[in-house]
Amino acid sequence: MKTAYQLVLLAFAALVVTGCSERDSNDGEVIDNILLPTDVVLNLFCPDVGINDETCVLADPENPFSVTAIPEPDQVPEDDDGNPLLDDKFALAAALPQGPTGAKARFYLWATALARRQTGENQWYTARALHELYDANSNLIFEDELIKEHAKRAYRSVLDNFFGQVTFFNVFGEVIPVQLNEQTARDVIYGPPEGFRPLVSSVLEGLALIGEWGYTYNEQNDTLSKNQ
Amino acid sequence: MAGISFFKSIRKVIGLAAAVVVLSAPFAGQVHAADFVTTVKDDSGWKLQVNGEDFYIKGVVWSYSPRGKNYSYNLWAESDDFIRKVLDYEFGMMAAAGINANRSFTVIPPEWVEYIYREHGIMSVINPLMGRYGASIGGKWVPFTDYSDELTRATLKTEVLEVIEKYKNTPGVLMFALGNESNYGLSWSSFEIENLPEGEQNTAKARYLYSLFAEVIEAGQKIAPNHPFTIVNGDIQYIDLIAEYLADMPILGTNVYRGKSFTSLWRDVDEKLDMPIVFFEFGSDAFNAREMEEDQVAQAEILKAQWQEMYNKAAGNGEEGNAIGGFVFEWRDEWWKYLQTENLDVQDTNASWSNQAYLFDWAEGENNMNEEWFGITALGTKNADGVYTARQRMAYDVLAEIWHMDPYTYKKAAFNQEINDLDMDLYALKGEVRQLKAESKEQKSRLRFEGGSLIGELVVKGEEESIRIDGENALEFENGQMVFLDIGFNPNQKIEGQMSINILGNVANKEPLEIAYGRRALPVDLVVERDPLPEEAEFLPPDARVTDVVSFDDRERIEIYDFNAKYEGDEWDIEAFYHTPRYHWMNEGDFFGLVRETTDMAGQDIWNAKAPSGVEFAGKEGWGDGLKVLAGDEVFWGANPKVILKYSWNWGRTQFTFMHDEDIARRGDSASATQATEIQTRRTTLYAKRDFAAGWTLEVGGIFASNEKIDDTFTRYEDGTIYLDQIKDEDTLGARVKLTFPVFGHRTWIGGHYAGLVADGGDVLREFGIMDPTMIPYSQWGNKMEFDAGMNITFGNIMLTPRVMYRENLVDANPSIPAEINPNPNLGELFPGIGPRNRDDDPFAVLDNREARSAEIFLTYDPTGETFFYEWDNDYKEDAKFAFNLGGNYTEYPTATDSFQFFSLLSNSNAAFGTGLPSENVWSASSRMVFNPTQRNKYIVQLKGGFQQSSGNAEGGSREFYELHGKVILRNKHVIEGYFKKDAWGPYDFHRQFNVVFPEQFKLDYSVILDGSGFQPRETRGTGTRVGIRTLYRGYDPEDEMTFGESQEGLSDYQFMTVFYVEYVF
Repeated sequence: MKTAYQLVLLAFAALVVTGCSERDSNDGEVIDNILLPTDVVLNLFCPDVGINDETCVLADPENPFSVTAIPEPDQVPEDDDGNPLLDDKFALAAALPQGPTGAKARFYLWATALARRQTGENQWYTARALHELYDANSNLIFEDELIKEHAKRAYRSVLDNFFGQVTFFNVFGEVIPVQLNEQTARDVIYGPPEGFRPLVSSVLEGLALIGEWGYTYNEQNDTLSKNQ
Repeated sequence: MAGISFFKSIRKVIGLAAAVVVLSAPFAGQVHAADFVTTVKDDSGWKLQVNGEDFYIKGVVWSYSPRGKNYSYNLWAESDDFIRKVLDYEFGMMAAAGINANRSFTVIPPEWVEYIYREHGIMSVINPLMGRYGASIGGKWVPFTDYSDELTRATLKTEVLEVIEKYKNTPGVLMFALGNESNYGLSWSSFEIENLPEGEQNTAKARYLYSLFAEVIEAGQKIAPNHPFTIVNGDIQYIDLIAEYLADMPILGTNVYRGKSFTSLWRDVDEKLDMPIVFFEFGSDAFNAREMEEDQVAQAEILKAQWQEMYNKAAGNGEEGNAIGGFVFEWRDEWWKYLQTENLDVQDTNASWSNQAYLFDWAEGENNMNEEWFGITALGTKNADGVYTARQRMAYDVLAEIWHMDPYTYKKAAFNQEINDLDMDLYALKGEVRQLKAESKEQKSRLRFEGGSLIGELVVKGEEESIRIDGENALEFENGQMVFLDIGFNPNQKIEGQMSINILGNVANKEPLEIAYGRRALPVDLVVERDPLPEEAEFLPPDARVTDVVSFDDRERIEIYDFNAKYEGDEWDIEAFYHTPRYHWMNEGDFFGLVRETTDMAGQDIWNAKAPSGVEFAGKEGWGDGLKVLAGDEVFWGANPKVILKYSWNWGRTQFTFMHDEDIARRGDSASATQATEIQTRRTTLYAKRDFAAGWTLEVGGIFASNEKIDDTFTRYEDGTIYLDQIKDEDTLGARVKLTFPVFGHRTWIGGHYAGLVADGGDVLREFGIMDPTMIPYSQWGNKMEFDAGMNITFGNIMLTPRVMYRENLVDANPSIPAEINPNPNLGELFPGIGPRNRDDDPFAVLDNREARSAEIFLTYDPTGETFFYEWDNDYKEDAKFAFNLGGNYTEYPTATDSFQFFSLLSNSNAAFGTGLPSENVWSASSRMVFNPTQRNKYIVQLKGGFQQSSGNAEGGSREFYELHGKVILRNKHVIEGYFKKDAWGPYDFHRQFNVVFPEQFKLDYSVILDGSGFQPRETRGTGTRVGIRTLYRGYDPEDEMTFGESQEGLSDYQFMTVFYVEYVF
């Protein structure tokens, strides 16, 4: 029985030794309040960050949303009257500071949403955020070529990976579907309606770029098709 | 010693009775009354007499063991017609050889004892094993019988006396023999005996054994004074104790394996015991372990010499005169003897023990006794009646010549002359020719077609709304056909295997009520994009593409259903397996359940899952002994592709096992429809077990798991604060201890299990295996401090099993608190919120390892412990007139869980339900009852009820449900089974996962077995030719959103399906 007692003691010693896995307030970092980035300099954490289906943004230490639940609209629970019980991704995005001070946070929010759920909508908003950052970080003398090219890649990913998908805009309280194919083409060729600096120097260059990607944009009909 | 005078009186009575019988024999009917069997002694020696006639026992040990079956095969459950065919074949051949008695380990029912005697003139020894291989004591199966225990002694005595009572008047009973080498099975331990010096421990145990024999024989002789009683001793070990306790026993029965001669046994017995000797086992195997080939000559030579010596030692030959015959071990080879549950279709050539007395194949340090080759006939193929044939070996012919002489009527010189003159070369030639013919037949089947089955079904189904609108036209008719072809191969003695091919004809779509074969070969619609045809193009804009829907219905019509091949080498065994059942390793050191059992083949067939799939290497010799390596793409159902290494060894009296489990990849699809996949990981465990005296066992283990998650981040919520934390080294460690010990003689266990946040193990071994009714919420996942305890309390045939568990989490589940952004126009501030974790996005999650306080108790009544109530095939095996269990569980889950996941077929990846299950208190109760009113009729009823949560989706809340399951087997031919469920989840796992319940579910299945194969244990197919009809009904709650689509948007109240089916096994 002596050995038995020794083995029992050994077992409980093992329990005690390993028993320090419980957590208390001294463990970890308190993250109740995170200051969102207000600068416009984006460090690409990995070469494909923000491009489907790269998820490295979730590990990016600069990403304030890496542990934040960014609910898709269909993930938002409702009360008995159908009212949402929490903010969805659009509500969170709307709460970000408008203008350049919120551009970087917007990128992180949408890139995180994309990493969590791969949709054309999330990819397009990520591209838009990159476009905004490019705009914010460029002027007549300096152009942020890195972010410009990255924004182009993000737009292209909308077409390559999510061809034919839609998003919905709320226009004066009315929800209308928007074809992301054409919206992406317009953003690339003409620049977004927000007035961001275009990614191309002319409409012709924009059309050619879309063509390089394997698509054709018909300005007359506002339609985009895949090249054969 | 009290029994001695009693035995003497009894003998006088028997003698008088025998005289009366002899005198009255001419007036008696032919063998319809019980026989008078006694021993007599005169100056010439001892004789056995039956009804006053000298009777020299020329016997064999008999059992009917078909290929592919083992000790669990029960001939007596077959139809009377088939039993008669077997007995007529077997005993007809025995009678032709001059055999006049048999001994069987399985107790032959009285009517068949009489039949064998009446039709073939062969008498039977009734041989209760009296706890030799375990016993049911107080409702609990005890594998090592403790003959010192008063309850055990009383139980065994009662059981044996019941047998004697049953057979005492049966014609054809030769004698009663007790045990089987019971003196070799004194394995129990007790404080009292462990305290004796080692050399005296077994003798002390043997005293209990022989004193019990004496008690039982004394009482038995009172019940059946017309038959002699004896024991089946192992050789003449403990002969002094036999002399002390059983001096007046009429016969010494013994199993003796001393080679060609019984050496000094005759003299030793003559000097110490005044009784004749009968051999209940002796003989030789017919396999030469040195040459690795059948050796009929060696067997025949040994048996010839043994019988010649036995004849010489019979009364009247001037020697000891104490031989009254014997039973050759055995009539025919049994292919299950080696390993007992494996390779049942193959005659193993492994020698399992060594005996130097058999010099023809003995070698120093090697085994030479081949358990599956002891027959004087070999196990052949089936004859036209479906009876497995017996191919006579040389020994059969030689013994037939000897048995046709009677040592009491032949003079000593005459029988010796005849035996010496036997033309052994001629018999060798005869045996060899028979062997060659049989081998030739078997050779042709080295790659052989073993049979198969053809399954056809006709389905009619419908649902209420369609029938209301379209009447009978709304009924849908489907038909399906399926063929299985079974192929075996055995290219050489070391390699054998089998495979089954499955071929589909039409496939009946039985959904949603039944899903089969993962929807294999059902039509699948694909959308295909193409250029428009010229006639289409004129109506379309330029560059437009058109889409077509193309239906494919020829997917995977032919597939390999299962495959198994095994190589048995001298140092390694290698087994490749694909969709053939495999068992867990929890009884061989897998304390954390890393290797799961995969035996639910029918469950897998629903999804056309093909686990287990892989290869196992098992070392046998030298350093490889104790080593196992298991590798494959799915070594158990749901496993990632992985390699598992296990090494077991002993250090003193402690057993150790080291295991490492390394995933090599992550599986790409679900193991069923919606079961989530698991990330690639690794685990290492170390386990030690030690058995102490008096039933104490200590098990200790440690685990190191998921170290790839170290530094992974996770969030947690504590006292209103959100923390971002990281996995640390210590989070990968866990330890478990279990102590088993008796409390007032009842098996009791307590256990503790600590597991760091990511120290995930595997399955937890349930006390009673897969039939265990427990609802204690065991979990494989880490993040817990867990304590459990239980007892098996037995009172007679009743067993009470209380169990309790207490578990806490090291880190609780995350609540759902939404993120918020302070809408400062210039400076954003994020409250990140927190949500339930899941096992893909977070290093761990609180799921079924949640905090719990659980207690349950089950009462089990099973008067026949040999057919343990919780064996996996108890439905088939249970032979008690009535056995049942009844119990319930109450569990408190004081906290919520994180988010469970499911596998989404749309995204082909896991998806989280998003919210966890709330805290809840749940209960369940169940009872299973088995009735056997007669041997061939059986009724099984199961009742269940409970209030439980789903296994994933929180929507819909907890459910209260009730279920009634039933199975009726009539005349071992008609099988009726079904269920009625009220408010229960649907039949498939995803129903509970998504919390889908139905107000009513009903199933009734009737089938009739047409080929005499009888009701069999659960198998997927091929157990017998049958036709049947099955009806399923499912009611809908029109308000239930979860079944809204299935019930035609709530318009249908029900759906039903009837299947007519036929299965032909060939």
